[in-house]
Amino acid sequence: MISKGATRNSNSRRVKFARRFVSALLHMRNRNPRPGSLSIEGVRTKSQRIKIAAYLSMAHAVGSRRAWSRAVLSKLGSRARRHMSRMGRSSLGSLKKKRVIRSYSPGELGQAKKLRQLVPGGKTMDICSLLEETAHYITCLATQVKVMQTLADNFSK
Amino acid sequence: MQPCSREMQGINSLLNPTQISLQDLHDQQQQQQSQIQSSQIHHQVQNSHFDPTSHDDFLEQMFSTIPPPSCSWSDLNPAKTPAAWDLKPRDLSDDTAPLNPDNNNNVAFQFDDSANLASKLRNHQISGSAKSAAAAAAMMLQQQLLMSRGVAGAGDSGLIPMPLSLGSADDNVDGSSSFKSPNLRAHDDSVQALFNGFAGSMHGPGQTPNQTQHFHHSQGGPVQGQNYGSPAAAMNQAPASGSAGSAPAQPRQRVRARRGQATDPHSIAERLRRERIAERMKALQELVPNANKTDKASMLDEIIDYVKFLQLQVKVLSMSRLGGAAAVAPLVADMSPEGGGDCVQAGGGNGGAQRNQTASSNDTLMVTEHQVAKLMEEDMGSAMQYLQGKGLCLMPISLATAISTATCHSRNPTNRPVLQPNGGEGPSSPSMSVLTVQSATLGNGTVDASVKDSTSVSKT
Repeated sequence: MISKGATRNSNSRRVKFARRFVSALLHMRNRNPRPGSLSIEGVRTKSQRIKIAAYLSMAHAVGSRRAWSRAVLSKLGSRARRHMSRMGRSSLGSLKKKRVIRSYSPGELGQAKKLRQLVPGGKTMDICSLLEETAHYITCLATQVKVMQTLADNFSK
Repeated sequence: MQPCSREMQGINSLLNPTQISLQDLHDQQQQQQSQIQSSQIHHQVQNSHFDPTSHDDFLEQMFSTIPPPSCSWSDLNPAKTPAAWDLKPRDLSDDTAPLNPDNNNNVAFQFDDSANLASKLRNHQISGSAKSAAAAAAMMLQQQLLMSRGVAGAGDSGLIPMPLSLGSADDNVDGSSSFKSPNLRAHDDSVQALFNGFAGSMHGPGQTPNQTQHFHHSQGGPVQGQNYGSPAAAMNQAPASGSAGSAPAQPRQRVRARRGQATDPHSIAERLRRERIAERMKALQELVPNANKTDKASMLDEIIDYVKFLQLQVKVLSMSRLGGAAAVAPLVADMSPEGGGDCVQAGGGNGGAQRNQTASSNDTLMVTEHQVAKLMEEDMGSAMQYLQGKGLCLMPISLATAISTATCHSRNPTNRPVLQPNGGEGPSSPSMSVLTVQSATLGNGTVDASVKDSTSVSKT
């Protein structure tokens, strides 16, 4: 059931994401002009950066409305990265809130834990909101994949 | 007194085998019982709306026969009595015809004209007004009738104090001291009072003046004024309890529990939570492909796998941008352990979906190259399909390698026809899906390179 509002939202989200992602890619390319870096580490870091850029641009397109996007922005944001490099990982780990998760229905224990690990920001959510965030996250991931796929198809040799 | 007692005993025999002599009831002190009975009355008033729909036959029976006197009231079960009394108003509302004294097997209303008039008025009113309030008022009226008809000092019945509490104490005390006539007087007063209060709470415009006229002859002015508030108060209480339904009368309670379910706030909150979760699961079901699972656990598994798959796709796509087949090879090799550790079952769109561990077997490079190249051809289509929301299938790598050893073909994967292993199901292990993307992005120009890539992946 796709209402008009949802389509509008998804379209604008898609466009926002595409714009940000392409700009991030361009930025990366400009930063590293020589194309011949075929070292394993270099390639891996590059792909990692591209992946992070993809998630970040998606989170930016969504905004701070969703818990998972907020978690992504806080975790992967440039400020967070700078923070991490400066203060080290231990301090960042201590900054995280610790919350005891109790799942009420024992039947869902394992799956709920897995889902929490998959969905960003899912560690501090109850099952109800976790499912909601998962639904939104899935839609955003699907659009992300679609956009990236079309980009790869159109712009690769 | 004699005919009354005889008739009442007849009523007793109808309703209840046990019989209480009227003398005993008569001798009891009413002041002692008034307090007890007032609480009982309230209890009965509340219970009256508990189960109105049953005992319909009994209700008709009840109407045709004499209403039980107060002495028998005490013997009846508290559940039974209110149910019977509760049915009365409903039956009245259903019946358009007023009570017929002719139907009575026993005396019933014959010795009480005012009671007859009261019942007729009740009919008149109930038919045009809210049932709960009417039921409450009618029930209280019935109780009034019972009380007046019964012995004044009827012990356990909760009816006698009704006039006491409702009306002025003086009048009723006098009335209850002797049996018949003062009771009738008090009864009239109380009935009048009841109806006045009833009329006040009801919103029938034309009925109110009629009622006042009926009982005008036995009217006590001050009594009427005094009784106005209390019946209304009592009736307000009854509808309130009625509206609460099976749940306890709590003003803050919004959700009404279904019959047979627990009504405490914990279970209601639990039920709400479960309903919300079910809503979310339904929404998720629409998003995730191949979500025809009815079981919640399998649905959750499906959701988890789909999220993993999408994240994997993002990873693969981010790698594809880098271009350069050779550069990708080590990457893919690195990635395959991560992605292949848990096989993502991406739906069974093309046939049987299998969940397998991508245990790597070190085959010769050439064989795996061929096989993976072929698989890539097949996978690309299915991978694209999945990207567009369709399902993919898994194929164990061991099988692929086995097939590759079995079938040896040319090294050009582009024009290769579909092979047997790929016929039934398109393999779609995460490593394979990586390859498909690779092949898509890299194009089919560099066959060897792509084959090499696939080789490195298939190793795991």
